Amino acid sequence: MLELEQVHLDFGAAPVLAGFDLRIAPGERVGLFGASGSGKSTVLKLACGLLRPRRGRVGNRHRRTALVFQEPRLLPWCRLHENLVLPLRAAGHNRIDAERLADQWLDRVGLAQAATRWPGQLSGGMAQRASLARAFALTPDLLLLDEPFSALDPGLRQGLAALCDELVTQSGASLVCVSHHPQELVPWVDRCVLLKGGRGHAYDDCCDEATRAATARALQLALQEPLS
Amino acid sequence: MSASSLALHRIGVQRTSRAWALAGIALIVLAWQFAASRLGPLLMTTPLETLAALIALVQRADFQRHAGTSLLRIALGAGGGCLIGLLLGLAAGASARLRGLLEPLRWLLMAVPPVIVVVLAMLWFGLGTEMVVFMAMLMLAPGMYVNTVKGMQAVDRQLAEMTHVYRFTLFQRLRHLYLPTLAAPLTAALLIATCGSVRLVVMAEVLGAADGAGFALANARSTFDSGELYAWTLLTLLLVGVLELALLQPLQRRLARWQEQVDA
Repeated sequence: MLELEQVHLDFGAAPVLAGFDLRIAPGERVGLFGASGSGKSTVLKLACGLLRPRRGRVGNRHRRTALVFQEPRLLPWCRLHENLVLPLRAAGHNRIDAERLADQWLDRVGLAQAATRWPGQLSGGMAQRASLARAFALTPDLLLLDEPFSALDPGLRQGLAALCDELVTQSGASLVCVSHHPQELVPWVDRCVLLKGGRGHAYDDCCDEATRAATARALQLALQEPLS
Repeated sequence: MSASSLALHRIGVQRTSRAWALAGIALIVLAWQFAASRLGPLLMTTPLETLAALIALVQRADFQRHAGTSLLRIALGAGGGCLIGLLLGLAAGASARLRGLLEPLRWLLMAVPPVIVVVLAMLWFGLGTEMVVFMAMLMLAPGMYVNTVKGMQAVDRQLAEMTHVYRFTLFQRLRHLYLPTLAAPLTAALLIATCGSVRLVVMAEVLGAADGAGFALANARSTFDSGELYAWTLLTLLLVGVLELALLQPLQRRLARWQEQVDA
């Protein structure tokens, strides 16, 4: 369970979150939308402990949380394989286990042949697949995705989103995914939250194809509206 | 993209040209030969005379004692100074308060002329190894400290966040985040410290020691033995060259190996 209750946070004089609430049940998938600078990434950073709120409460009772950043954030001086092994070692796996899991997950995202390459030798799509593999290898029960496909071209974005959908379904992890693109994300989440004016606005109708399409349209319109 | 812009792009990663370095040495030797022929043997010996004096010097009974003593002092001075600078730099890089506290001392040590420290160290420790090593450590630590602090401040914040999210251990962060970021400034600082250590130790020995290369050099000067004087100087230069070529440059290449392979 992840709970953010009445969270307030400012960066300097500018308030980013002003009484923000969010509750994620185990196994639930939530899409978090908002304009640039609305505080979407801030919510994810609060959830994984990178930031602390000025006021309010953040409770994360998940056993293991993984965050996939907008950029791959691979260590450029470690080969791809080692980039997956290090977090696994930090999570308590012994060297042999960690290497086996790293091999398995690189294979799963189609990067087995690139295991010994340096991150600087990978394309943007390959690097982002590697960062997904790094997160999934830890078998997290809470996965946070911070617009992980936004820098990629549309074809690659759809392919990685499908892969991510499949991996989340198999793992049964809770998911919070931040996006600018309601049409792409709404089809694979249980409900949506629009972040506007430092607060969350619920868009819960995601039960079938028709309601999802309507929700995506409503979110798209809301994202285009000026801040009231 | 034009060939010139490609060449400009590679400026930072090109290795220093060995052939041009040899040409640089040849130029210095030529200038030395020219100056020696103008000044005469009492003031300056020629390169060949110096080489002959050097061969005679290494065969003398007391050579090993003087050279060994100096090498030990250089190693202790450079090693101790670098270790102190590195540890304090890592701590100060992580703590703005400690950085503020150490800043006046750093400024003091970098501003005071080494010869004053030698005189003070002679008063505190007397003549000998303690004085020389203390002085070298004190003079070399600030350079390593400044480079470490600057390197710590240059650590990629995004990668630091990633190591926090994935709960890297302190050792993993040091080994896989801080040290690779610090590799370039630290190897540069190590190079400066090692060469500086040779110069400082020899200077301190000239001023206040009863053995070592600097002491032998001072003796040669007082007896107007120009050949031996230049032989000791040449030996010091060779030592710096060997340390740089055999120790520091391979270390630099090892640490930057990943970058070379990515660029290739």
